[in-house]
Amino acid sequence: MNGMYDDGFGAFDAFGQEPFDDEEFDDLESEQADDGGEFDDGLLEEELRQAAAILDPVPAELRQLAMDAYALYDLDARLAELTFDSLVDAIPVRGATDVPRMLTFTAGELSVDVEVTSEGLMGQVMPPQPAGIEVLTGPQTLRPTTLTADAMGRFTSAAPPTGPFALRLRAGGEVVVTEWLRA
Amino acid sequence: MRAGTVPSTAYDGLPYTRGGTVDRKEVGALVQSAVDGDAAAWKAIVEGLSPLVWSVVRAHRLSDADAHEVYQTVWFRFAQNLRRIREPEKAGSWLASTARNECLKVIKGLRRLMPTDDPQLLDRISEERTPEQSLIDSEEEASEAERIRRLWEEFEQLGERCRQLLRVLMASPPPSYLDVSAGLGIAVGSIGPMRQRCLRRLRARLDAGRAL
Repeated sequence: MNGMYDDGFGAFDAFGQEPFDDEEFDDLESEQADDGGEFDDGLLEEELRQAAAILDPVPAELRQLAMDAYALYDLDARLAELTFDSLVDAIPVRGATDVPRMLTFTAGELSVDVEVTSEGLMGQVMPPQPAGIEVLTGPQTLRPTTLTADAMGRFTSAAPPTGPFALRLRAGGEVVVTEWLRA
Repeated sequence: MRAGTVPSTAYDGLPYTRGGTVDRKEVGALVQSAVDGDAAAWKAIVEGLSPLVWSVVRAHRLSDADAHEVYQTVWFRFAQNLRRIREPEKAGSWLASTARNECLKVIKGLRRLMPTDDPQLLDRISEERTPEQSLIDSEEEASEAERIRRLWEEFEQLGERCRQLLRVLMASPPPSYLDVSAGLGIAVGSIGPMRQRCLRRLRARLDAGRAL
């Protein structure tokens, strides 16, 4: 699983492998000798915990959104897993800017290709078939953008999703929801 | 609800021992109950593990907007996958590693690493105090506030690795090393020694400041 994110994250990999003896810690040995090796690190960690609770707690509105997210646990819908994400799986093109984000979601034999750009969202249901599609933006999407896939399974939206989104498709008598993603 | 300070009722009375602080069996049972339709169990999971998710996100130093979106994405996806989580007792690690992966995607996609050292963060402490509290113990409060402010300042100035590790460790209730490992992509076995060194380093900074 880690291998998926290896590219471009050398610093993160080194985190796990280097036995922590980089320059950041060069002078630690002497510090340790100086204080006789006795200090209550548990206490200091607890002080940090208290400081975090005051200075950087989970924002209340976010906590509430996580509470509300239980509504997204949907027994009636089949989950379409993210099986391709250009951000992770594609080879970067040198010098290319504003490359579209290409995504593929798969639920059994059904798949949905989605392309997100700054101009909007377009995609195709495979195998090609008509479908009704809702663009969900949270646990309580009051008026979801609704799209229609034509006989070829193609659909477009002029509004790119902002923030987390999921597509809820009605196709061939079943409901499929794509994994939540941040575009 | 006051965020951050109150540990989940679901975990009250359970031993906060290192390595399994948010009791894994308990989490597994809560996930199973939520799968079976128990909304209170879901609430308990959110209360118990929200600070862990937030800490992992904060450790990656995203902009506030990105941090908020990653946090939401993680919980939305967790809800979606609830029935499919293979090891419910490892829900904390699932959340932590999903948060990490989403953070890495943000960093990779946007290439904008914005430090969260905006001065407002340090001012928030004053907003937390009611006028009554300030009147009663204003002097004591001021020195306590100052102590916390200094601690946070020194913490923020630690090297990147220590800052990251400590930011996740300070989640409340304290995360298990397995969850920390999932959230930061570091080996479980190296967390203990790193933690001790980082805390020593922080203590040294605090002592040095006091001596001035």
